[in-house]
Parts: sequence; structure tokens; C-alpha cells
Amino acid sequence: MIDVNNLNKKFCEDLKRSLLYGITDIGREILGIERKSARLRKSEFWALDNISFSIKKGQSVGLIGSNGAGKSTLLRIISGLIKPDSGVVKVRGRVAPLIALGAGFSPILTGRENIFVNMAILGVTKKEIKKNFDEVVSFAELGHALDMPVQSYSSGMAARLGFACAIFTNPDILLIDEVLAVGDVKFRAKCYRKLAELKAHDTTFILVSHSSQSILSICDTAIYLSKGHLIKYGKAAEIMNYYENELLNKGKDIEVSTRMIFSEKSAERSEGIDFLEIQFCNSEGITLDTLASGESVFLIIKCKVHFPIDNVGLKIIIRELSFESMSSITLDSSDDNFEFNLTPGIVTFKISLPHLSFKPGLYVAKLNINQSDLHVYDAIESYKFNVIDKHLIMLHSTHFQQRDWEIIR
Amino acid sequence: MEQDIVYTSKSELKNPLRLFKNMFSDLFASWDLAKSLLVRDINAKYRQSVLGYLWAFLPALFTSLTFTLANNSKTITFEETDIPYPAFVIFSMVIWQTFVEAINGPVQTIADSKVILAKINFKKEALFIAKFLEVWFSFSIKIVLLIAVFVYFKIPLHWTVIFAPFALSVLIFFGILVGLFLSPFSLLYKDISYGLAIFTNFLLFITPVIFPRPTEGTFATLVNFNPITHLIEAIRELTLGPGGFDFTSFYITSGITMCSVFIAWLTFRLAMPFAIERVTS
Repeated sequence: MIDVNNLNKKFCEDLKRSLLYGITDIGREILGIERKSARLRKSEFWALDNISFSIKKGQSVGLIGSNGAGKSTLLRIISGLIKPDSGVVKVRGRVAPLIALGAGFSPILTGRENIFVNMAILGVTKKEIKKNFDEVVSFAELGHALDMPVQSYSSGMAARLGFACAIFTNPDILLIDEVLAVGDVKFRAKCYRKLAELKAHDTTFILVSHSSQSILSICDTAIYLSKGHLIKYGKAAEIMNYYENELLNKGKDIEVSTRMIFSEKSAERSEGIDFLEIQFCNSEGITLDTLASGESVFLIIKCKVHFPIDNVGLKIIIRELSFESMSSITLDSSDDNFEFNLTPGIVTFKISLPHLSFKPGLYVAKLNINQSDLHVYDAIESYKFNVIDKHLIMLHSTHFQQRDWEIIR
Repeated sequence: MEQDIVYTSKSELKNPLRLFKNMFSDLFASWDLAKSLLVRDINAKYRQSVLGYLWAFLPALFTSLTFTLANNSKTITFEETDIPYPAFVIFSMVIWQTFVEAINGPVQTIADSKVILAKINFKKEALFIAKFLEVWFSFSIKIVLLIAVFVYFKIPLHWTVIFAPFALSVLIFFGILVGLFLSPFSLLYKDISYGLAIFTNFLLFITPVIFPRPTEGTFATLVNFNPITHLIEAIRELTLGPGGFDFTSFYITSGITMCSVFIAWLTFRLAMPFAIERVTS
């Protein structure tokens, strides 16, 4: 059904250069000259690197991987929107993209009118649209809103209508790109029911999702992509396990030390302040390998400042790296009324964190240095650290509470 | 058995026969969609307005009024026209505006459809067929204005007017072809759409729209060099009767136009995946 062979695709980081490459590629295409696809030009990187797999009819495949792994790019090539840079993709059957729900809805037109246009864009003939019209309307639960302009719809209604339009095109292959995250629980359940029904009728799926639950509920197989590479392809449950383990393991790697050093940026890529180094220290200034609940530590952040900047704030968001926990802690110097006036040179921030409240576990922090929360100069996407229970006081607690015991007469 | 669709990095020109076959099958297959898009665009354009369809000819009417006033007050003076100047300028302006709509149509529709172009692989030919039809639709509203003007100034029509739609079609094709050629590039660079507005303004002054066709001087050479001159002159000649226009130049322009439409279409098809890749995600 879908055959992908040694697929490569490169993208460009730089807009101006990307547009220029676009023009040269167009020129070569029109003149029928071979594009030099195997080599990377300046500022380019492989968005997809030598990907091969095949999907049989009726198979449902989950596509997982962190942001920027190349999932959407892969879907776009399969749907024929963009061309590969090398390799071959073979597709058999009608492909319907469920990529953006309600893309192309025009807000002033009524739901009824939009159904006709949207389904026509998806390649359905007028006769077929008329045949499926009632089903689309009842699935989308529009009721009397059918003849109201779409701009007056709630986002849930619009999403339902978009989903209904796409699903009733009777596709052989359905590409679903993280769209099921919208809408309420009831709507999601309904979508999954419909997908299960289509699956029973031998429709092939590719589903992109970050939620392991949704992949496990409708996919038998899964593909794990990371930075353009196909890491693993196999049974959905196995792949999900592998993926989640990998996520956790990444955190364990840095157990050796909490110190993280960043390569210095060139002047042209710098926004004015660059992070150089981050680490947790104890009161003697010695770098810690792990933190312990209840201990007093200092977070030391070293930056390079290129020119004088006033009102600089530092924001740190810490989240536990686990699938159940949604709790997070935000430390924002601006909220605490600490804004710094920085002069050029190396600046070291020292944030005192007495009696760490975190329970044992892996944590990931996001940091940014900004001016009045508006302009971000530099950011650290994920700084991971480990918290342990050194003194065995956290066995029955989810937070540490600093305490002192005494008797008063 | 359904055929495999194969995507590779090879230029589609490597297999021209298949490319041409696909182009024409897509063209025919896009008819249904084109009609839907036409209805959508017309509704979307006029529904959110009080004056509605009047907007089809109000711009032409007001530009004409401006030039008539300028001409009457001798601010600008033009050579004598065969028919009263107000009638001449309204008639020409309506045709000119139709041309401008045709040239802007493809660039406009590509910009408006960016979201669906980025997400859905559909027959893009439909966008242009819809624009072509929309330009005709808009012209058919403008005819009401033309009839009013012709009746008011008691201008007789020549029988050859029945051929005028063909000449107008060529003019619209000419506009669409330029727009079609530019549209993939307009996705990449904003310069195209910015420049197009200035370019059409400039073009107006080297086309006999607000003035009759000059007969001598360097300006006349410039105007004659402009292919639109021959198309507009032909339309006027067919409508108003013989006035000494040589149709040879019209036939040549038409022939070149029709061939170029195909080239522009081919360019568009080949260029589009690259334009989409660069500007959308």
C-alpha cells in the first residue's frame, strides 16, 4: 500500500537561503537537470535520513518521536505535497489527509456550503458529497447550526465538521496528524469509534501522536523517528515501551554531574545574552551529582553578555519527567521582583534554593533569560537532573516540608 | 487495479508523456472542484458587503469619472476619441479592470489558499479555472454598466460584437497566464505581489485605455510594443465597428498567448511542490 525506500529529505535553517534554494530547485526541475540531492548545501540538514519501511493494506501505524523528528515531513511526502530529495515513495489508493481540521473553511460561509467546498477539495465528487451529506451533518452534530456561518461555530464544532468532512471521503489511506487532540472527550471518543469502524473496513492509517494511549488504542504497529532517522519499526506496544524508556534513560545519562556546558555562540547567532554553563552546587561551591530532597542547594547559571541590557529576568520551569505527573514549579525572577541590569562580560546568577521540596525522581527544567518577559535572549530547552532521597525521609511524602522540632514550655 | 503513485526526486520532465497525460487528466478532473470554489469565492466576496455586486464595476466607474473630469477641465487632454470620451473611458476601463482581475487572480488565490496548499494535495488547476470563471462572472455584471452607457450615449453596436467575447477571452487568458507563471514564485517572495501592483499601474499608462491609441512618436512605439494594446483594440474594434485596426497583430498576440498558457501551466506544476516545501509546514 505504501512503500518507502531510502527516502531522504533535507531542509534549510535559514529563510533567505531556503528561498534561494527553492528557486534553484525550481530552475533545475523545469530544465530537467538532476538536482544535487545527495549533498547538503550550506545551512541544510537532513529532515529525513534514509528512511525505509512498507505498510500493508489495512495496517494501522503510529508515528512517534519528539518534535522535529520528521513525522509531519514524512506525511507530507506520502501525500505528495512535497518531493523527496532522493529515494522512492510508492502509494496505492486514495489518500486523505486529516492534517488540519477545517483547513480551507471560509468563515463567512455556512456549514452547509463549507461541507461542499471542503469535500470537493479533498477530491470527492458532487454526487458522492450529496450521498454522504446527511451522515457528515449527523456526525458533526451541527443541528440547526448547519446554515449558520462557520465563524460563529465553537472551535469544537468546527473541529467536528472538519473531521466529518475528511472521514466521509472514503479514503484508502488516512493520514492523521495530531488532530485528535482537539475537541472534548466525547468528541474524541466518537472519532476513535469511527476510526475503529474504518479500520474494520481495511482502511490504512498513519497516526501521528504524542499520546501513547491513542497510538496503542488504534495502531497495531508503530514507527519511532528521531532527528530524521527511523529508530525502530514494529509492534505498537513494543515501540511505545522502547520510546518511553528512551525518554527516561536520556535523563539518567547525566547522573554523573549536574553540570551542563554550552558551546559558545558566534556573535551573529547570539541575541545578546548566551547561556554558558549551568550546575547545582552546595554551599561550598562544589558541583553536585545528584540533589536530595530537603537539602539546601544553589543553582549557578553562567552567562555571557554582549552589550548592556536592563531589566533582565530569569525564568525556570521545572517539571517531573514522568508520564503520570503533571505538576511543575516555575521560578521567575520577574515575579519575585528581581530584574537585573547587566553589563557586558561574564555574569553568574546564583539562585539559592533552601530545603529542596522535590520528591525523588527525574526532573527536567526549561530556562530562559528575557527582558520583561517579552524578549527572550537565550533558552535552554531541557536541563535534566536527578533528585534522590538521601536521608530516607520521603518514603511517605510527595513534597518535602522543611520542619524543626522543639518543645516549648 | 489501481495504479501506484510514485514519488521520486527526478524531474517530472524526464517522462514528458506521463506528465502531459497527468496534466490533462487533472485539468478535466478539477472541473467539479472549480465550480465549488467559484461559488465559494463569489459568496465570500460579496456576502459581507452592503453594495454587493455593485463592487464589480464601481472601481471602473470611479476611475473613469476621474479621468472624464480631468479631461473636461483640461487638466489632462487626450486626443479626440471616436465615441464620446466618458463612454470611451468607461468601456475601456471595464475591459482593463477585467484584465487586472485576471492578472491578480492567480497570485491572489494562491495566497488565499496557502493553508490548504500546505496540507492537502488537490488538483490545483481548479484554483485557476475558478479564477477564470470568476473574472467572467465579474465581467458579466460589468456588462450592465456598459449597456447603460451605450444606451445613454446612443452608441450603436456593430454586428461583429458577437466575436468580442473571443477577443476578451484571449485578454483574460493573457492575464491569467502571467499570474499563473508568477504565482509559485509569489509564494516564495513577497516582491512579486508588491511589484505586481506597481507593474499593472504602469501598464495602464502604456495601454490605450484612458486615451486613444497614439499614432506617432516614441510613445506610439512603446504602446504598440505592448501586447495588451492589440487585444484591447481588437475588442473595441469588434464592438464599435471598423476603425482601421489591423487584426494581424491580434492574431499573432492570440497565438502566442495560447501557447504561453501551456508553458505557464507547466512551470506552475513543476514549481509548486518546491514553493510549498519552502514556505509552509
